[in-house]
Amino acid sequence: MTAIFINGQPVETGEHTTVLQAALANGFYIPHFCWHPALSIVGNCRVCVVEQEGRGVGIACNMPISDGMRVLTDSDPVRAQRKAMLQFILLNHPVDCGICDKAGECALQDYHYEYNGEPAISGDPKLPSTKFFPLSERILLDNERCILCSRCVRFTREISKSNVLGLEHRGDSMLVRPAEGRTLDDDPYSDNVVDICPVGALLSRSFLYQSRVWYLEPTPSVCPGCARGCTVQLWHRKAEWRVKGLDERHNTRIHRVTPLENPRVNGPWICNKGRDLPELLDRPRATQALQKGETVSLMQAIEAARGLLDQAGKRVALVSSWGSNEELRAFRNSLGDYFTSFVKPDHLPLEGEVVEDDLLIRADKNPNTRAGQDLLGAGVVQIPEDTDLILVWGEGTDFGTLPRGAKILFLGSWLLPENGHADVFIPISIQTERRGHYTNFEGVVSAFEPCQPRRDGVIDAETLFPLLSAPGGSASGGGAA
Amino acid sequence: MKHLIPEFERLKTRLPPGHDATLLVPCLRRIQEDRGFIDNSDIDGLVEYLGIPRIQIEEALSFYGMLRRKPIGRWHLQVCRNVSCSMRGAERLIDQLIGKLGVQPGETTPDGRFTLSTVECLGSCGTAPVVMVNEAYHENLSAADLDALLERLD
Repeated sequence: MTAIFINGQPVETGEHTTVLQAALANGFYIPHFCWHPALSIVGNCRVCVVEQEGRGVGIACNMPISDGMRVLTDSDPVRAQRKAMLQFILLNHPVDCGICDKAGECALQDYHYEYNGEPAISGDPKLPSTKFFPLSERILLDNERCILCSRCVRFTREISKSNVLGLEHRGDSMLVRPAEGRTLDDDPYSDNVVDICPVGALLSRSFLYQSRVWYLEPTPSVCPGCARGCTVQLWHRKAEWRVKGLDERHNTRIHRVTPLENPRVNGPWICNKGRDLPELLDRPRATQALQKGETVSLMQAIEAARGLLDQAGKRVALVSSWGSNEELRAFRNSLGDYFTSFVKPDHLPLEGEVVEDDLLIRADKNPNTRAGQDLLGAGVVQIPEDTDLILVWGEGTDFGTLPRGAKILFLGSWLLPENGHADVFIPISIQTERRGHYTNFEGVVSAFEPCQPRRDGVIDAETLFPLLSAPGGSASGGGAA
Repeated sequence: MKHLIPEFERLKTRLPPGHDATLLVPCLRRIQEDRGFIDNSDIDGLVEYLGIPRIQIEEALSFYGMLRRKPIGRWHLQVCRNVSCSMRGAERLIDQLIGKLGVQPGETTPDGRFTLSTVECLGSCGTAPVVMVNEAYHENLSAADLDALLERLD
């Protein structure tokens, strides 16, 4: 351990670190654009300057710690130099915060308010540059807003290793550009550059002009896209900003997905598939219980399901690998004795999707296979021909492949044709409507929180399972709201 | 480019192992000397030979003004237009060349004889104004000297 003094206060820190890291770790904020904890140090933005007492001003991101060094993060020379740097950075920046999606979470906007706040000092008109340059189907680049920090370039070289982006030309003509003939479509992690862009230069097409960030708030969740189980933030409108002028869908939908940094699972990144989670969750929902295709009330459906359960002799359950740890446990405790259970994949890799790589993406496209197999065994699905009842929980099962004589009890969330083909269909809630945990392929358990109101007519699987197994009595006591 | 690889291999022995990417600019200069410009096939060849991503080569090519992507004329006239040369009449020399050759800076005459360029300091301020023709400096040029010079270049 090494002791240094930041703004006169003693701070204990590791030996091989920099002033910037030591300061951030101890609650002293130093502004920075180009430095990112997961990327290499380039030191080109020059706003992280600090004063080393008696030795002048230097950049903190590349200043090694030495024992007893005394650093000032907010002295007059430091503020003066930061202001000068911001004047330089803003020479050709349009300062169009009013129409910029990044406004409200933009480092440049914050530092401009804090340290500068003046119009550009140059008498020359600002240089125009490319707006809306398409880097991929998903990302637009506004070169006028770009401050050339090179975070995105380093991301494609050091993290995703797609090597798509580079800085071309020199001086004030310098531009972030993809290599000839390539686009960021080649990069399954490309959307992370939108997050790490400290300004509004890299824009997500799906989020473009959708919402001001200050109307939104994040709910911590877990990406169900694969067995990695990346922790994410689901951004939706704050309760106080759910206004009557917007339709219900706009008020409650997930506007965007960003990573929630988690060193044990995904670090600061997620893949593009995780960003597309809202599309998956926006599919038409099943909210009506059915009995052989006829609409029935939820209670009638549960009674009918109990009837099927009582009549059947040989029962098999195809258990959802999208069920939470709590739901899987409820299934085992309530129904485990009734069924021969198999954990099935609800989702398989889609055509054209990256199946597996060595960064995050896993071949198993389901979030909770591990917990299911730990509870119920890892057997391969085998359904005897003389099975009387099959409980299908979740998507991904073709009823045509099931034994013809078996009755089907189907628990699902989505409006699918097979709902009507089941003997009993019960609509269940989805991840964003309830609280729970997933166990990823390495055994790390992550929690998710609800962020959307539960649809009328659906029931949590965790509530449903005890109702199905309860001997005799009425099922009306359940929390089926 | 392939026939230059033995030369590149000799350059490589001057570097510590694992620094092949450092060879990029020397290789590009040698290729340009050989072919006159950098072709797409040269970029592909270097991607393979040096094992670096294509974007890194494109960055270097766009950064260094003296690396060319297109063929030029037989005689490359590079007129310095920085302070010393401008004060000593470089702008007049540029106008004279534009008038005489009928091309703007950056262009090549239709017969493929001359390419006119304006460049930054050639490091010969004491003998301004300077025009560099291919690899040779022509210093202290007057309008008459320039006319005589053009006569000598076929």
